Amino acid sequence: MNALAGKRILLVEDEAMIAVMVEQMLGELGAEVVGVASNLDQALALCATVVCDAAVLDVNLGGAAVFPAAEVLARRGIPVVFATGYGHSVIGPQHLCHVIEKPYTRDRLARALAAALPSQLLPSP
Amino acid sequence: MDRVAPSLELSGSLGVVGGPPGRPDRDRAVAVASDRSLQSGRQPIRFANHTSYPAKIGDVLQDSVALSPQISQVQVDRLDALYRLTDRLYRARSLSDVFDAALDAVTVTLGCRRASILLFDAAGTMDFVAWRGLSDNYRRAVRGHSPWTPEHHEAQAIYVVDIDDTDESEAVKAAVRGENIRGLAFIPLMAQGLVVGKFMAYYESPRIFADYERDLAITIARQVGFAIERARAEEARRKFEADLRESEERFRLMSEHAPVMIWMSDASGRCLHLNRMLREFWGVADDKVDSFDWRVTMHAEDVDRIGRETWDALLRRAAVQLHGRYRNADGEYRILQTDARPRFSPDGEFLGMLGVNLDVTERERADAQRELLLAELNHRVKNTLAVVQAIAHQTFRGDAARAEAQAFEGRLLALAAAHNHLTQAHWENAALEEIVADTLQSRGDHKERVHVSGGKVLLKPKAAVAIAMALHELGVNALKYGALSNDAGKVELAWMPAGEGGLLRLVWREQGGPEVAAPTRRGFGSLLLQRTLAQDLGGKVDLVYAREGVHCVIDIPAAMVSAF
Repeated sequence: MNALAGKRILLVEDEAMIAVMVEQMLGELGAEVVGVASNLDQALALCATVVCDAAVLDVNLGGAAVFPAAEVLARRGIPVVFATGYGHSVIGPQHLCHVIEKPYTRDRLARALAAALPSQLLPSP
Repeated sequence: MDRVAPSLELSGSLGVVGGPPGRPDRDRAVAVASDRSLQSGRQPIRFANHTSYPAKIGDVLQDSVALSPQISQVQVDRLDALYRLTDRLYRARSLSDVFDAALDAVTVTLGCRRASILLFDAAGTMDFVAWRGLSDNYRRAVRGHSPWTPEHHEAQAIYVVDIDDTDESEAVKAAVRGENIRGLAFIPLMAQGLVVGKFMAYYESPRIFADYERDLAITIARQVGFAIERARAEEARRKFEADLRESEERFRLMSEHAPVMIWMSDASGRCLHLNRMLREFWGVADDKVDSFDWRVTMHAEDVDRIGRETWDALLRRAAVQLHGRYRNADGEYRILQTDARPRFSPDGEFLGMLGVNLDVTERERADAQRELLLAELNHRVKNTLAVVQAIAHQTFRGDAARAEAQAFEGRLLALAAAHNHLTQAHWENAALEEIVADTLQSRGDHKERVHVSGGKVLLKPKAAVAIAMALHELGVNALKYGALSNDAGKVELAWMPAGEGGLLRLVWREQGGPEVAAPTRRGFGSLLLQRTLAQDLGGKVDLVYAREGVHCVIDIPAAMVSAF
């Protein structure tokens, strides 16, 4: 849990109820939610501007795929955790690294984010 | 019929042996007198069977019978008839040509007005196939009358001087006499060493047959037998060819109208034949099949792979299955599934491939659509579960409700995980192994203390969900109160076939945990185990809170198992 202490997280989730729960989970983990988007347009805007350490992206935003927003984050070098109800197969290989399946526990979320974030044990180059 | 076995020497025996006394009949007179033209030949011509030929007869009879020039003409006619027979048999186009020629030869050479040819039919009955001067009644009466059966290898000609002198039944005699017949000759016809029939010569008066007549009869019989053999072979060949043509035509029609695409290539992969459906697919005119190059219709992305697989099959002369896109006559790419097999000539030469193409475009589209729908459904279900989780999260906020909230979340996640496995297998089944691994994964810290053993088993959806929930409850209980609640306890989980009828038995056994006391209150866990499993699956659950550890045996009926 220490790994997430003080981390700034961007959340993209179109289900308000789930968004509230994930916000609480992240809060319990010591992280700070710096932005919440519930559709692709908001997501694209936030992903391009918000300063954050990582993002949790719901894959399906009311029928639209979140991948364009993920591309924006990737270009900015911001690590991403995908949350999906589809299972791994729907997400392309380039995104394979960090996927959690809905519904997920707080622990599962914490592990995925910790894995996605650059290791702090390694000295930066 | 009575066999008149001894050959009649004509010298001095005329009218003495066999025949009725009195004046020799016309035929005999002819036979005797016909030698005139040969009488200058002093040595009789001898053949292998030592039959004497007219030369000898002439020698013997020259003093006793007056020979006239007309009779010599008859002799010439007989030779001529033999030549003619040979020639006509050579030219015969059918069996009836053969019979016609044979009857002409018989009547002329054996000096009779009436003659017939009979052959064994398919049922082995000797029946008339050609005749001269016989009434319907007569033929009906003597039909099937034969001295030989179709199995006879050795058949000797039989010469009846007078029907009245034979042992034949009165019925036969009456029939023969009724037809105004006295003398008869039965000459067997042989083909491929077996009797196939006979020809008959009929005389109004008693008849003695001269040796040379017997030889003539045999000669005619051999020629006719051979001609019959040849004509039958020819007929069989024609029938075979007609059958073959018919069969080829039938297969051509089947191929033409088949609701799949059928093709044939040569050994280099070039088109030899495209059926109607495939010609229409590619828009190839009937007469342009030879020059059509199917390779140009391949999708650019498939060219390399299909080209390689095709060449490989041609080189190895092996069957091949291909799957690729081809442009049809409308310019649209369609997915064809090809099943091709090598063709060989009867002596093993590789002739090319014979293949069937199936347009699977629609099928694959439908499959993809189904996949998409299933993924969408799964997404919705999972999202809904996540919403339920979020609602619970809000409902049970606060420390007091924390344990209940966690228990609820655990159950929800166990349900979601089971759904995951089912979705991956299109809701057909789920592997027990994976469900177990999943359930135990959530308590990963105790992995080394849980020993799992069992073969590959696929569970039906309902069983998969129920077992996942049951294992979750057992796991949670072990963690809270059982073998996993201290540092020493162990859990053993095993499954195996049990008894008859494909029953699957699951055994959960805890050991080394704190001493177990049966719960005072029946919680959701035991309710789920004992009610849900037992009722929903029609299975049997035996849950024992033994002092040394919980012991649970779950029997799952075969109907809930897809595959062992």
